[in-house]
Amino acid sequence: MSSDDAKHAALEEAKREVEEAESLTGGSAVAVHATTGPRRTPLVTLAWVAPGTIWLLLFLIAPLVMIVLVSVWQKTPVGFEPFAFTTEGYTKLFQTPVYLDTLKDTIIRALVVTGLCILIGYPIAYFLARGVKSIRYQIALFVFVLAPFWVAYVVRIVAWLPVLGRQGVINYFLVEVIGVRAEPIDALLYSNFAIILALVQLYVLFMVTPIFFQLATLDNSAIEAARDLGATPAKVFREVILPLSLPGVLIGCIFVFVLVMGEFATVRLIGGGTIQSVGTLVYDYYKLPDLPTAAAGATILVAVMTIGVAILLRFSKIREVV
Amino acid sequence: MTWLWYIIGVAILVIPFAAMVLLPIQRSKPVLTVYFLLFVVFMYGPMVAMAVLSLQGTTGSMTLPAKELFSFHWYSELNSSMSVMVAVREGIGKSLWLSLIVAVITAVLSLTLGMAFRRQFRGSGALFYAILLSLMTPGLLLSLGLSFLLYYVGIQKGEGTIGYLPIIGVQTVWALPFGFLVMMSIFNRYDARAEEAARDLGASNVTTFREVTLPLIWTGVFGAGLFGFTLALNEFERTFLVSGTINTLPLQLYIITTASVLRPYVYSLGVVTILLSFLLIALFLVVSGLTGRKKTRAVEEDGSGVDAPSMTPAAASGD
Repeated sequence: MSSDDAKHAALEEAKREVEEAESLTGGSAVAVHATTGPRRTPLVTLAWVAPGTIWLLLFLIAPLVMIVLVSVWQKTPVGFEPFAFTTEGYTKLFQTPVYLDTLKDTIIRALVVTGLCILIGYPIAYFLARGVKSIRYQIALFVFVLAPFWVAYVVRIVAWLPVLGRQGVINYFLVEVIGVRAEPIDALLYSNFAIILALVQLYVLFMVTPIFFQLATLDNSAIEAARDLGATPAKVFREVILPLSLPGVLIGCIFVFVLVMGEFATVRLIGGGTIQSVGTLVYDYYKLPDLPTAAAGATILVAVMTIGVAILLRFSKIREVV
Repeated sequence: MTWLWYIIGVAILVIPFAAMVLLPIQRSKPVLTVYFLLFVVFMYGPMVAMAVLSLQGTTGSMTLPAKELFSFHWYSELNSSMSVMVAVREGIGKSLWLSLIVAVITAVLSLTLGMAFRRQFRGSGALFYAILLSLMTPGLLLSLGLSFLLYYVGIQKGEGTIGYLPIIGVQTVWALPFGFLVMMSIFNRYDARAEEAARDLGASNVTTFREVTLPLIWTGVFGAGLFGFTLALNEFERTFLVSGTINTLPLQLYIITTASVLRPYVYSLGVVTILLSFLLIALFLVVSGLTGRKKTRAVEEDGSGVDAPSMTPAAASGD
């Protein structure tokens, strides 16, 4: 058997192991182990299930249903007339070109931010999971990176103001310190660039975390098998590491895409009122108050998010993500 | 000149990625280490800039260069009798109370849901997706929908005791998936034999739960509560449209940032909330460290439900 054959066989072997591991870790991102508990009567089960379910029905499901309902109800001066059906909200939205343009901008922005989050987040997760050998340092660094997630979101947005402003850190550095520019860049704050930069910083942790967990729990024997038998590093990455981490990437993409689509405060604070997102439009209608139109805008937003998530799931070829 | 910046930007993004794909980890590690440091600067830089500017003297402005470093002027300003500051202090008080309530409810609901998911039940899949959905629903939509619901049932936002209910409701929805995942990771490593023994010896369900189960998992419950507290304290978008006149700390901060002339006290207020959050994380780590020492030395703070054995040193350092 030639060495090429051996390599080929080894790769096949590694691939098989990947598939095996995949079928095992298919639900590994959030594994539901449902067999650790003692047997119990239906009444006991109901007692454990009921409180959380009722809470979620009241404060999660009902509000989402209300958005869809209000979007087809009639407007009144201060609110809406329940069960008086009309499509006025939607016609109003589509009569103004602003909504469709904003929707397009919002989708593009969400896609760009998601892409940047993969590009930035993957190497970080890879470094933490595979580059840091000691488990102690690994956890310490991971917690360190994750800590900003618990800082108030408004504070994190506000923190960008001294960095991006006309006399902000970046401009100060460019003009005063290294002197590559005579004039500060005006466009830093209140621009799409600033919004995207801030959004990436706010949401990249939603990408790093799932990828990190996928890579940290990855079985080394598949990688070693492939490498021992002569697969190049690029090939090991492409055929072993990448496929195994895809569920994490996918979960990250869903989070980032959906959350950025619904983004409101960052666009308002960093965009300075000149740049809109669907979120800020919906808020403007809410303030008028024109609740049905706001609801219609939000419903379309939900629809686009759902389509986006469906596409992600469809093209990822992953059977079970969660 | 502009094109040069584009090239530098693209290079910073592409080089580490290429190194990761093309080189074995031993060789790409130096590049990735530098990249990681850049990432840390990216994540913490703005906060550090804010912290420095919050330490300016009386003449301090919102931008560089920082004037009269280092002074606590803008921190003492937080204590002044200006109407803005009075509102801020009220906001802090309300936020702490609300967060405490949310923490307790999150802990209880995470515990019950965690117990529920120890066995399969009808609709467990749907409930699991609902919990995930609460993590994925953008905050603005949640608060928009809930404000519609309040209007529909005729509850005035922010009035009376019932005005606090919607705030507690949405903040708990936001914290619940995190608390739930903490409980899941606890139960993943949980040994059910003690329970069985208790039952075999004739203990009732209630006694078994109180005397055996709860003492084993209380740190998880506490952790879930801490998650609830921290997340509720910092919650903004979900609370935004349902709070009425009740302004929590993040809402107060948003109002200051959008409405008034900005002064550096915005930064000192930001720094105070950051320090508070980090203190709570440290507390969480200490508590989960206690559990870890008591049972296994497995990873605790991930809270993700990843199987602990796969994160043992052997697996992590096998490269």
